[in-house]
Formats: sequence, C-alpha cells, structure tokens
Amino acid sequence: MARRVEHVERQQAPELEAGEGAFTLDEVKALVKVLEGTDVTTLRWQRNGQQIVIRRGRPAAPAAMAAPVPLMVPHTNTLAAAPPPGPAAAPAAAPKAEPKPGTIVTSPFVGTFYRAPSPESPPFVEVGTVVKKGQALCIVEAMKLMNEIEAESPGKIAEIFVQNATPVEFGQPLFRIEPA
Amino acid sequence: MFKKVLIANRGEIALRVIRACRELGVQTVAVHSTADAQSLHVQFADEAVCVGPPPSKDSYLNVRALMAAAEVTNADAIHPGYGFLSENAGFAEIVERVGLKFIGPRSEMLRLMGNKVAARERMEKAGLPLLPGARGVLADAGEAERIANEIGFPVILKAAAGGGGRGMKIVRESVHVRRAFEGASAEALAAFGDGSMYLERYVEEPRHIEMQVVADEHGHIIHLGERECSVQRRHQKIVEEAPSPAVTPEMRREMGEIALKAMRDIRYNNVGTIEFLLDEKGRFYFMEMNTRIQVEHPVTEQVYGLDLVRLQLLLAAGEELTRTQESVVPRFHAIECRVNAEDPETFAPSPGTITGLHQPGGYGVRVDTMAYEQYRVQPYYDSLVAKLICWGDSREVALQRARRALGEYVVEGIKTNIPFLRRVVGDSRFQAGKYDTRIVEQIQAEIRASRAGAEKAALAS
Repeated sequence: MARRVEHVERQQAPELEAGEGAFTLDEVKALVKVLEGTDVTTLRWQRNGQQIVIRRGRPAAPAAMAAPVPLMVPHTNTLAAAPPPGPAAAPAAAPKAEPKPGTIVTSPFVGTFYRAPSPESPPFVEVGTVVKKGQALCIVEAMKLMNEIEAESPGKIAEIFVQNATPVEFGQPLFRIEPA
Repeated sequence: MFKKVLIANRGEIALRVIRACRELGVQTVAVHSTADAQSLHVQFADEAVCVGPPPSKDSYLNVRALMAAAEVTNADAIHPGYGFLSENAGFAEIVERVGLKFIGPRSEMLRLMGNKVAARERMEKAGLPLLPGARGVLADAGEAERIANEIGFPVILKAAAGGGGRGMKIVRESVHVRRAFEGASAEALAAFGDGSMYLERYVEEPRHIEMQVVADEHGHIIHLGERECSVQRRHQKIVEEAPSPAVTPEMRREMGEIALKAMRDIRYNNVGTIEFLLDEKGRFYFMEMNTRIQVEHPVTEQVYGLDLVRLQLLLAAGEELTRTQESVVPRFHAIECRVNAEDPETFAPSPGTITGLHQPGGYGVRVDTMAYEQYRVQPYYDSLVAKLICWGDSREVALQRARRALGEYVVEGIKTNIPFLRRVVGDSRFQAGKYDTRIVEQIQAEIRASRAGAEKAALAS
C-alpha cells in the first residue's frame, strides 16, 4: 500500500517534550503502521498547535514501487516525506478524491490564513455557518496585503481544513462547502 | 551563514542548490508549481511550498508568490538558480529591499549586464575588446569603405532592420565594399523599407568561449578558466567542455587578466560568466556577461575541484574567498552532455513519463538530474532532463569516458537527444578539437546527406 505523510506545519510554539509537543519520527512511523490494513484514508491529528496529516493513496504500480525515489532524512520540525511517484498523491487533488459532497475552496496563492478580519473579531465563518455566494470566508495575507477569500457558491460550511494564522500554499484546501 | 534558503527554481538546478545547502547545514525551502508536486526538489527540501499553477508566469516567475513563500517560511536568502528570475534585476532588488539576501551579484550588476548595449559600452571602457566594427549606422558607401579598411577583412555588412540573412553581405576585399554596400542596402530597403546598414568584422569560424569568475564582497576575485560552448543549435548549448581545445595557457592567462581587471572595475561580486567570441586567429571579443550560475558550471567544477554553488552560498553570506589565482589550477578535462527530452532528429520536444531509466555511472562520471523512473517530463518547462559530466586527466580520456557513458544511457518512454549526443562526441572534428559554432549544422547536413544517399541506393537496387 502506498502511503504518504505530508505537510506537518511548523508552529511558532516552543519545543516541547516528545509525547506532548512536536511529533517525532517514531510516532509518525507508529501511526502509519497502525493505519496499515485499515480502510482509513486520511488521518488528521492536532496536538499543541502541531498538526499531522496522513493520507493513504491507491496502491502504486509495481514499477512505481521499484522506482528509486530517495527518502531524505527529515529535519526536526518539518517533515517532507517522499511520496511514491504517480498520480495518487497530488496534494491539492487528494481531498477531492474523498467521497464527500460539496465543493472545496482552495487557497488562490501562498500566504497566511486568517479566519477573522482582525485578532479581536469573531471568525468570518464556523462549521455549520450558511454562506451566500460572495460572502467572505477568510483572509489570506501575502506580503502585508489582506486578501478576502469569498464563497464561490452558496452553502453550508462543512469543514475547515486549516488552523487560524498558519501558512497556506497555492491550491491548498481551506473549506468544504456543502449544499445548504 | 544563512539559516534557511528558498530556491526559486525547479529541476536539476534546484536539487543542485538543495544539496549544496544541506552540506553546509542550511535549511531549504523548495517552491513548485502544481505540475511539479512530485518532483525530487520538492521531496529533497526541508519544506516545500506550492506557489502556483503550471505556467511559469504564474508560478516560478510569480514574484509575489515567491516572496510570500519566503515570508511564510522565514527564509533569509533566495537562490534563483538559472533561467526564470535569475537575471531579473527587478526581482533581485525586491529581495534586497525586504532584507533578504539574493544569492548572486548585486541587483545593479544584473541591471547593467541585462542591457546588452550598455554592458558592451561599459565593458569596453573597462578594457575588454569588442568585435571591431561601426558602432552605429553607416552614412554611405564611402564610410563603409573607410571603416572596413580600418578594421580589416573579411567584414560583414548587415541591415540595421535585418534578419534572416537578407541585406547581409560578406566582403573579403577592399575593392568590393562599395558595390556590396549598395547592393545590400538596396536589398534591405526592398525587404524592410529601411536601407540603413552597419558593419563589423566577420568571423569565419566563431567559437563560443566563456570565462568563469568568482568574486567575494571584499574585493577578492579569481577566474576558473574557460569553457568551450561551441556545440550549440539555435544558441542552445548541447555539449560543453573545459579547458577549450582552442585556448592555450598563454591565452588563458591573458583572457583571465583582462577579465579580472574589468570585473574589479565594476566591483563585481559572486559568480559570473563572461562570454567571448573567439576567432580563427585566436583573437577574442566580449559578447555579454551572465550574472548567474550556469547550466554548464559542472565542467569547471570537475576541472578545478571547486564547488561553485557552495561558493555562491558562502560568498553571498559575506565570507572571504580563500583561494588565490595561483592556487587554482586546471587539473582535469571535463565534458558535459545535455540530455534533453526531444526528438534526436527534429529536436521537437518530447514530454511524457519516463518508463525505464538507467543512468551511467562509474569512475569519472557525474549525472545531475531530477529524473527517476516514472518521472513525468512536463510540457510547461524546458526540455533538459539530465547533465552527463565525464572527466579524465586528459581530453582523450574524458572523450573516451563520455562515449562509454553515453553508451550506457537508457531512457524509455520519452525521446531524448542521446543518439545525437553520441554522434557529436564521436564526430571527427569534435574529437580533434577543431570545431566551431557551425558544428551542429555540419553534422545535421551530413546526416541528411547520408540518408538521401541510402534512399537512392535502396531505389537503385
């Protein structure tokens, strides 16, 4: 079974003891092992501001398995593990493959994701909020410019994929909106 | 030293920079388009940020996205690689202004060398020879004759508005200048509606020679000899070697001295390459300067035993150059073959998935590549798939090694120019070191002629 560990975002939190703070490589390995043989395709776990997402793709072709993709030793807080080559693991496309209804709102550019217009304000939306087309969902800040991201279709916020004040990349899923 | 470097590039050069950073203990950030999510540079880097969709203008040339990526990842320097934004003075200036280090020369150097006319004027002032000729448009046939006699024959008359060989005449003797000028000028007037002409020395057997310079930010500068890049098609280099078979140690010393003098004059910093045109009599003329690391930098590395990308990083971080000119000597001969995803005959691009791959190896062989089995060569970017660099303690050994290594290469699923590379390396002119920028055309003409001959023979039998 092809497996993939992606995108453990580094937070500004201080380093904590293993077991409470940063995920260690052994923990990640253990997690992946636990998932083997199950039907779980995605696992998301947050702990003290750290987030880990494990996504498991379709089995790769034998040729792809044999492909010499080197796995680099990851550095402390950031984990960029090697996915198998092949179509199974395009990050932006992966959530679309999940059989959940609705549309995925993705980030139109690289920046920092904010759920509220200012630190004192309440979030633009919460899970369950019914939104109109054109309603502001969040802000993606890039180079000091605050860009409001609007809903392209009306519906109900079913999922929020990103934590407040974390970096997002182009095409990264932000919200899932279900038909209301 | 920097803590974290963002590499604003893709492919083999992004990997090359990531490797140099890792050896120095510097963290790396890869940026990529959605098309490159599976690329090795994304997997090798400590962090990766998707900056946009496949078209370069929206991703690798997207200054805003790149700067935002540097911001969210807390990078303190940006390495531009080659191509893309590597020689974009505006980008370098933005990087400098937000307090990050642009790993390359100062933006003013990029701006100077980016303007070819201004660069030539400035370099002439700094003592580099330019190709003799009229700097502007000729007034009449009389002036053409006077200037031609001054600079010596042969000369070439070119239409100022010209192109495609029209309004172009090569003149070998003084008595023919007037007639040639009038004829070419009339032809240019008819073809382009503008009869103005200029003139320069005509080089019959031009060779493309370039000098590698390395400078720190404290006034120390050395050169690492020349590279011979005459094997090119439509100004795209295919095979490069160092040292050049046409450059003697005396020429190298002379070229190096005036190059370093000019570089000191403009207070050049970081690495750069000065391109010269070398004529059949061994005279060289400044053409332009490249203010970036070049694709063919590995041949110099193998000849001199110095890591140019590591040097780029160290020098950009403000370290002093520890080598002196006397302490760098060319110890080996190296040849680089560029493996491109293209049809070996038509040179048409051939993107697709690599289904089988065997890269050459063994003693004296280096392959810089982002390719692996099942890697998809994208249609959005250039066709370079790998650089095969072979070296030995003599040109003969390097040549034998290059032929051996090309023989081992297997790339399946896409077409590559490897058959053409084998032809170049086996060519008698190339083997003898007696070739110039016409060699690719000559080889292609011979291929066509032998094919026509074979067809005729087949019809006759």
